[in-house]
Amino acid sequence: MKISIQNLQLKYGSFTAIENLNLDIEDGEALVLLGQSGCGKTSTMRCIAGLEEPTSGRIIIDDVVVFDSEKGINLPPNKRNVGMVFQSYAVWPHMTVAQNVAYSLKQKKLSKSEIDERVMEALTLVGLEPYADRGASLLSGGQMQRVALARSLVMRPSVLMLDEPLSNLDARLRDRLRVELREIQLQLGLTCVYVTHDQHEAFALADRIALLQGGRIVQMGAPQHMYEAPASASIAHFLGVSNIMDCTPEGTATGSTTARITNSELTVQSAQQASDAGTSPKVCIRAEDLQITAMPTEHPNSWPGTVRVAGFQGNDIRYAIQLESGPELDALGGLRRGEQHKVGDRVWVTVNPREVQILPAEVLA
Amino acid sequence: MSLKTTEAATRADARLAPTPAPRDYRAARTLSGLRKNTPGLIVLVILGVLIVLPLALVLLAAFSDSVPRPGSISLGGLTLSNLALLATPEALGALVNSLMVGAGSAIVALLIGAFLAFVCARSDAPLRKFIFFIGMAPMFIPALVGALAWSLLCSPSAGYINIFLRDLGIDAAINIYSLPGLVFVLGIFYAPYAFLLLHSSLSMMNADLEEAATVHGAPLRTMLRTVTLPLALPAILGSAVLVFALTMENFPVAQVIGNPAGVDTLPTYIYRLMSATPAKSNQAASVAVILTVALMAVTLIQQRIINKRKFTTMTGKGNRPRQVPLRKMRWPFTILALAYFAVSVVLPMLALLAASMQATPFVSSMSQLLEANSLSFAKLIEVLGSNDFQLALKNSVLVALIAAFAGTTLSFIASYIRYRTKSKVGRLIELVAMTPLAVPAIVMGIGLLWTWLLLPLPIYGTLAILAVACVAVFMPQGYRGVSASMLQMDQDLEDSAVMLGAGRTRSVLDVTLPLMRVGIMSSFLLFLMLSMRELSASIFLFTSNTRILSILVFDNFDNGQSQAAAAVSVLYCLVIGILAVIAQKVGGERKTKN
Repeated sequence: MKISIQNLQLKYGSFTAIENLNLDIEDGEALVLLGQSGCGKTSTMRCIAGLEEPTSGRIIIDDVVVFDSEKGINLPPNKRNVGMVFQSYAVWPHMTVAQNVAYSLKQKKLSKSEIDERVMEALTLVGLEPYADRGASLLSGGQMQRVALARSLVMRPSVLMLDEPLSNLDARLRDRLRVELREIQLQLGLTCVYVTHDQHEAFALADRIALLQGGRIVQMGAPQHMYEAPASASIAHFLGVSNIMDCTPEGTATGSTTARITNSELTVQSAQQASDAGTSPKVCIRAEDLQITAMPTEHPNSWPGTVRVAGFQGNDIRYAIQLESGPELDALGGLRRGEQHKVGDRVWVTVNPREVQILPAEVLA
Repeated sequence: MSLKTTEAATRADARLAPTPAPRDYRAARTLSGLRKNTPGLIVLVILGVLIVLPLALVLLAAFSDSVPRPGSISLGGLTLSNLALLATPEALGALVNSLMVGAGSAIVALLIGAFLAFVCARSDAPLRKFIFFIGMAPMFIPALVGALAWSLLCSPSAGYINIFLRDLGIDAAINIYSLPGLVFVLGIFYAPYAFLLLHSSLSMMNADLEEAATVHGAPLRTMLRTVTLPLALPAILGSAVLVFALTMENFPVAQVIGNPAGVDTLPTYIYRLMSATPAKSNQAASVAVILTVALMAVTLIQQRIINKRKFTTMTGKGNRPRQVPLRKMRWPFTILALAYFAVSVVLPMLALLAASMQATPFVSSMSQLLEANSLSFAKLIEVLGSNDFQLALKNSVLVALIAAFAGTTLSFIASYIRYRTKSKVGRLIELVAMTPLAVPAIVMGIGLLWTWLLLPLPIYGTLAILAVACVAVFMPQGYRGVSASMLQMDQDLEDSAVMLGAGRTRSVLDVTLPLMRVGIMSSFLLFLMLSMRELSASIFLFTSNTRILSILVFDNFDNGQSQAAAAVSVLYCLVIGILAVIAQKVGGERKTKN
């Protein structure tokens, strides 16, 4: 169902957790609130759930105003029909798996046969039907996660919210559940809100990502768009861009930019227009966009340097390369896609001007 | 905002708007804010009547020339003349004695507790499991009973030990009725507090820290000195100050042991002023204020030290700290521990049994006790069948049960408001609930007496007021127990029930209470145990029909009927022992559950 959040603000004393947040979530959409800890993403989720009372603003779920500070409306969480999977799962250890899942249906006072039917349906969906009568304290982390999911799905919520749903699982399980979650969400056409600090999780689960910094949405868009065009250097940094340097950009006749890196002799060519850079501009280059060769290349951005560290990572090798012009760069060299270099080797680092972004330090409020 | 959403919102408003009057939103908000704080305010009022009002009345009486009673409570009679009493040699002497008793017993208790904790937690001495029991056991003997037993053992004329010494031809009577005697008795019966704190500190210490010292070249002795001891230091200091505070405010032992010797401490001095005819209540109140201030200072210091303790790195990991090999000293250390057991439990119990079973009230030689027919269960059976005892037993159990139920309920609600709601009064509730920790029980007793004479609720003279006193005096212990258990439980567990459609109360009943049942049960039993032993506050609140076991023992002793007192004590300990076993069972269940 559709969710609309208007001018939401949440303050704890003098600290502002959420600042004037506006957000519309479409029916059947999977929206990810992405950001570092303390950015307000969990607070936003808890406001939608009704576990937190916003200082001001308005929240509408499925055409029902559940919160409106001006009109003194604040629907309690149990009246909002919102499903929530907690980060800690919050599976009740004193009940069996089936009792956990049946809880919301019992609150609705459904008949026993209907409860049994819907519980089994939900357990089948998450692949836990053989565990129905097992005590919930005897489950593994992944199973608890599924119980928590089934428990929320069974109530057929207007919106399902998941707080860091995969963070407590080991890497292998995380990959599998990520796919499963997306599959269930698409299959049921659920409106989902995820909260996470992990960009990979966000990219995999989202139709749309809302990136939060300091209680504000600083960028919103489809995962691919966000990956390719971060709005600021600090967003780029958060999304894993590892080469970020202060610079002074100058426009050229062809519409591209020449950026002089602060405190060094390095200049970087970018295909981007200089005027887009805003205040205190920074050059941002992804480690995987750098090419390392033993010989110089013909490209405009080709700089000599020395391999200082080479760390084998399985699929690729991570290099720290000291440029002769000053800065040190972080670069990824694929094992299969070319040459390998040893510590102390003299190499050339090349980057296509189209992969060089010049971004403002922060998104202005 | 699109037109469509506006439309939808308006429609929704019409469906859900709780306020009929269109412009009354602000009033609705204020009202809902008030409603949100209502439960907190109610709890605060209850705690205020239980704890703050009694203290306020004591404070008022200390600066007044009349006792607060219905109709005569006024600020007109304010005077500083009661304070003149504080400069008399009697009052000063009592203050000095209290401080000396506190310091002396703290040292004795710390030496015993530290020794037992080290042997039990960190050495390879034999019988370590039993030594753990030895360290805790005296806790189950009410201090009053312990003092009574030691007066039976070492009163200068008729004490069993002194008779035995005389039998041996040694003419050096040990006089327990003295300041050192008082320090000794308090020291041995409060040693378990030091033991438990130190034992947990020593056994939970992260073994890696010590191993790091050995890896970096420290021999065992250096490791103990440079790593173990500094890490245990906060626990050592904390337990010493705790024992200081507990013994300084102790009334029953000081009364039983100190009174015959003419040694007054502040609590016994207060009691003497209160029971004088006519009662010197205002003077008693001013002494009470001094004692309370002293205890508050000590408690603050203790809390400081305990809070600092967090720097002791503790882990829940299973690697056990290193054992210190005692070699030749293994058995001597265990024997020393057994000697403490003899002094704190075995001898006192034997003395009580002997006193309650001996046929003649006077014994001139120990051999007399071994003659045929010299011992019988007649007195015990007589006491067991007496109306006095049966009534007191019934009263004690009833008071303890009511106090435990009411105290646990109040603790739960107070903790819930403090830690689970955003209510603004939460912190204040916690402060008030923890206050009795720094208030001597005897002072609470006086304050409660005046409070309930003043309040229109006629519970004075009933068992209810004794239960109220137990709740007030032991609120800190109960509150701390329940709130610790609540903090251990993830709030999400309850919130998820609300998210799934249950109301708040339903969620607490379905999820929070069942998951906290072990913690709640422990607090219930703690209230029960503590209330069974309470004397210092009840002493001002009982009437002839509402005597409880501790009062019965005290009265008998006070009237010189030491045989009856001993007999009641034996049965009293038996009742407490049974409760302790039940508590142990519940605790055991907790272990298997985890």
